[in-house]
Amino acid sequence: MTLMSRKNLIRFVMPAALMLTLALVACGKPQEPAPPWKVIDASTLRALMASDQDLLVFNTMSEIECLDHRIPGSKCLACEEIEKDVAVLPADKNRVIVFYCESAGCYRSCRGAGAAVKAGYTQVHVLDRGMPAWKQAGYSMESIERIPRGSIPSIRASALKQMLAERKDFLLVDLRSEQSYKEGHIEGTVNFPLYRLSRNYAEIPLDRTLVLIDDRGFRTFLAGSYLEMKGYRVLRLFGGMQAWQEMQAAK
Amino acid sequence: MKIGARQRRYELREGLLLLAALAVVSLPVPAPAAQDCRFCHDEPLYRVDFNHSIHAGNGCTSCHVGITNTEKHRDGKEKPAPVDCGSCHQEIAKEYRNNFHYIQEDFRCSDCHRNIHAIRKDGNKNVKLAIIEKCTECHGNADYTTSGHGEAVMKGNQDAAACSDCHGLHNTRVFHTSLEQYPAEAREFYTQKCKRCHADSAMMKRNNLSDKMVAYYEGTYHGKVQELGYPAPVAGCGDCHTKHNILPKDDPRSSIHPDNLEKNCGRCHTGFHTRFLSYQAHPDYTDRAKYPALYVTFLFMGALLIGTLAFFWVHTILWWRKVYWENDRMEREGIVPHSVVAAGEGLQQVERFSAKYRIMHVLLVLSFFTLVLTGFPLKYAGTEWAGTITRLWGGAHMAGLFHRGAAFLLIVGMTVVSIESLRFLFPKGEGRKGWLGRLLGPDSLFPNMKDLQDFKGMIRWFFNKSEPPKFDRWTYWEKFDFLAVFWGMFAIGGSGILLWKPEWSSYLVPGWVMNIAALVHSEEALLAALFIFTIHFFNTHFIPNKFPMDRLIFTGTYRLAELKEQRPLEYERLMAEGRLEFMKREHPSIPLKLISATFGLSSLLLGLFLTVLILWSVLFG
Repeated sequence: MTLMSRKNLIRFVMPAALMLTLALVACGKPQEPAPPWKVIDASTLRALMASDQDLLVFNTMSEIECLDHRIPGSKCLACEEIEKDVAVLPADKNRVIVFYCESAGCYRSCRGAGAAVKAGYTQVHVLDRGMPAWKQAGYSMESIERIPRGSIPSIRASALKQMLAERKDFLLVDLRSEQSYKEGHIEGTVNFPLYRLSRNYAEIPLDRTLVLIDDRGFRTFLAGSYLEMKGYRVLRLFGGMQAWQEMQAAK
Repeated sequence: MKIGARQRRYELREGLLLLAALAVVSLPVPAPAAQDCRFCHDEPLYRVDFNHSIHAGNGCTSCHVGITNTEKHRDGKEKPAPVDCGSCHQEIAKEYRNNFHYIQEDFRCSDCHRNIHAIRKDGNKNVKLAIIEKCTECHGNADYTTSGHGEAVMKGNQDAAACSDCHGLHNTRVFHTSLEQYPAEAREFYTQKCKRCHADSAMMKRNNLSDKMVAYYEGTYHGKVQELGYPAPVAGCGDCHTKHNILPKDDPRSSIHPDNLEKNCGRCHTGFHTRFLSYQAHPDYTDRAKYPALYVTFLFMGALLIGTLAFFWVHTILWWRKVYWENDRMEREGIVPHSVVAAGEGLQQVERFSAKYRIMHVLLVLSFFTLVLTGFPLKYAGTEWAGTITRLWGGAHMAGLFHRGAAFLLIVGMTVVSIESLRFLFPKGEGRKGWLGRLLGPDSLFPNMKDLQDFKGMIRWFFNKSEPPKFDRWTYWEKFDFLAVFWGMFAIGGSGILLWKPEWSSYLVPGWVMNIAALVHSEEALLAALFIFTIHFFNTHFIPNKFPMDRLIFTGTYRLAELKEQRPLEYERLMAEGRLEFMKREHPSIPLKLISATFGLSSLLLGLFLTVLILWSVLFG
């Protein structure tokens, strides 16, 4: 009697334990593949820059933003430029290169790093959590051509839509990359990618108020201040294309 | 001696010379005086306004450091270093490192403090107004300027919130609200900001507002989940009152105006009847005029709680006293109870609980503990232990899922018991015939006249007036345990089901019933937990002749001698009806006894531990 029940017990417990183990193994999070570049933190980068004069540190924001504020000793090289032609990078593929950008998510620096790795560079680094981490660590910045901050009013997507319906006389300027613009934009916008705006801003007519549009609303303020400095009247779309698309999706 | 003295003099002279030379070398090049600077920088701003400014005591070079030679500077060969305000304003500079404006747009001090050379200390200045003016240079927030706060600040109210009171001044946080994403962290952050002022009694009194609203909000489901610190998506202040357009409810533009409520609640809740909207977001239970139904429920539940606990606590204490004294007497006189020294036939195990009921009790224990361990952290959301337990569950959301799972198990158990009860009353073949006799008979869990006599008998026994009464199968306290769960299931289960999906419940009952349901659920839970952990535990397990536990409910059998001693009338009945023979069982196995003791004792200890936590929170929470 007891022998039978013990046998039954084993018969029941063993598969149950096996299934539980399998379930636990299956529930474990899949490991994210490591990026093909190295990630370094702000304090390491600072120490490295102090000791290694040959270190190449690239700011992958637009020239306007980079010259306004950057990590001292770094160079301006927008990620779009690298993606277009890696020849802008040094010829020696074994040089230590560090990319950083303005976002903690390292979107633009990773794009630059990805292009470099693809082109065969072996010592590619990305600054962990980007310039925000550098600033939060309390390290200094350098300004080459600082833009006076203006008062750039922002308008919400719904207000912009109403203004479009009323056919107000203004010019919509899309500051995103050519690629993003191609993938979709608000009707009637002209594309002046921010990464080369410092070279071609003069092509924008001066006779109308501009409404600046970017991806998420973070970059139009500085671009607007720059254009205001150059004599334009400027508004900016609050939340950028993301806010516009969310408004469109909600309706 | 002489030589030594000369030598020393020599050393001294040399030393002094060296020191002087060093002093000359290491002396800083004298920084240019303000006069030198103004020779070129001769605008009135620097010549006049600066001398009246708050920084007038500092020279130009206190801030504009790095100029060693005015001539080189004049020729453009030497530029001053960037101004570092943080060299004096250290605390602000530290805060500012995490400021959204610095991280994202690289704002520097002078981008906001533009008139830095003419800035003055003005005691009469309306600082709040100045802050609003500064922020609205870029953030043209029409919603705020027409809001209650904005209007009050414009009128000179120094209590009303300006931009910086919620968003911070030099430590403006990055929450990306501009993306219309509203992460839990932001909700927590801003709700704390609202609470800081609206719980300030002196400030609220000055402004003719209630300082209790925060406490009332914290008494609701929204407030409790929020306070737990593991915010599942529940409404913080700003979710209903909006972010900037905060207006009283009689203003048609207000989000809480009756006409706007459907849309307002609808931002989180979907699929409700408009009756849903009568839910009170922060009611005062003690306000008889405004919330009569809640007030009555509050009084009733309080009376039920205090009445039941007081009655049974007194009963238990008297009982314990009697048994303890009695045991002491027996110990002194060397008397041992018959059941303990039973021999022969008395050792025979007889069944009291079949396997089915033992399993049901184990499931009931598991479900009850799950409900208590997931529900009480919410009830006492402000305590440390609530946070710890919720973290163990994996957050308030997970705790909620477990709570509902355990509730489902309990409802299933309840259904089984209901069917069993009906089958007991109306057995197959007999139908309704004799149901009243069965209901009031000795095998029923329904109270009858004998229970009243037993109760009186027990009280007399407690006071040494008589022998203990002779019990049949169920004692009156066991019947109460059973019926209390039954009654409790209607109160706690009914309210729980209403609260399970309040949107659907709104098709049955209006929203204000949800307030009552929440109150009933919470108070009934407190009653149930304290009843089980103090009264049931003591009556069944901790009473001195059972201490530390009675394993009967887990092993299912006890000695015949125990049956004779504890249920003499049942024994007599079983003998008379010849049923005893069929109730004889084998002695429980060692594994069963071990498992029973482990499970039973852990449950008892956990219950006692929870009692301490709950009582601590009731008394000092």
